[in-house]
Amino acid sequence: MLSCQDVATRASALIDGELGTWQTLQMRLHLAMCKGCHRFIGQMQTTRDLTESLPAADAQDEDNEDRISAILSQLYEEKPDSG
Amino acid sequence: MPTAGAKEAALVQRLAAGDRAAFEQVYHRHNTSLVRVATGVVRNRATAEEVAQETWVAVLKSISGFEGRSSLASWIFSILINKARSRAKREGRIVSFDGAGEDDNLAAAFDGRGRWKNMPELWETLTPERILAGRSVMAHVNAAIEALPPGQRSVIILRAQQGLDADDVCAILGISEGNMRVLLHRARLAVRTALDGLM
Repeated sequence: MLSCQDVATRASALIDGELGTWQTLQMRLHLAMCKGCHRFIGQMQTTRDLTESLPAADAQDEDNEDRISAILSQLYEEKPDSG
Repeated sequence: MPTAGAKEAALVQRLAAGDRAAFEQVYHRHNTSLVRVATGVVRNRATAEEVAQETWVAVLKSISGFEGRSSLASWIFSILINKARSRAKREGRIVSFDGAGEDDNLAAAFDGRGRWKNMPELWETLTPERILAGRSVMAHVNAAIEALPPGQRSVIILRAQQGLDADDVCAILGISEGNMRVLLHRARLAVRTALDGLM
């Protein structure tokens, strides 16, 4: 029988679907009986979803336009020397 | 419909041909994450922005040599990690991503028999739009990620935000797959603890 600490240690593996059938069954059995672990797994799922929904892309603002221009001008300045 | 691989090959060709729009597309997709990962290594936002800029110049200079053995994103992040590590080394620091010596601080939540000392709360209403302590939930998530050690921070950004494959993340950071899973779990635990403290 898994302890709550065992369940918490395997929480990411469970929500990412990385556990084998037997381990998943043991986890599900514990979760069916333990309100604390059930809530904890819910918290970890919410955490995963929130971290995955952080915007990865940059805003297309003026600063970025300036940085892009700086990168391209640096490239063209260096090109003649690089052969 | 072209496959993802064919689309990427076309993008690489456009980059090699000096197509500014193609560069802007790739820049906007990755630059925020490049700066976030680099900040974890060089510990300074302004230096991290310089490292990201050096990375872009290196990417454009050597794009014609890109052979597609990894994804374009993996290749770009590998260049960034090398540059950020070199910068840290010049400052006398060796940065490793394996998380050795770090703890998840979870053991304190349990009694001697491995049971919760305090019942975890129900987070029924935690949505990205919700405001907690005057800031959006996403601002708190971002701040919690910024506070992570370099390995955890890099793994969660590359996996969760950039959506890179596990194999690519391991190759970029030079860690094993088991190690990467531990780091991702610890990163989530830290973000979860930060959010729980606000509830």
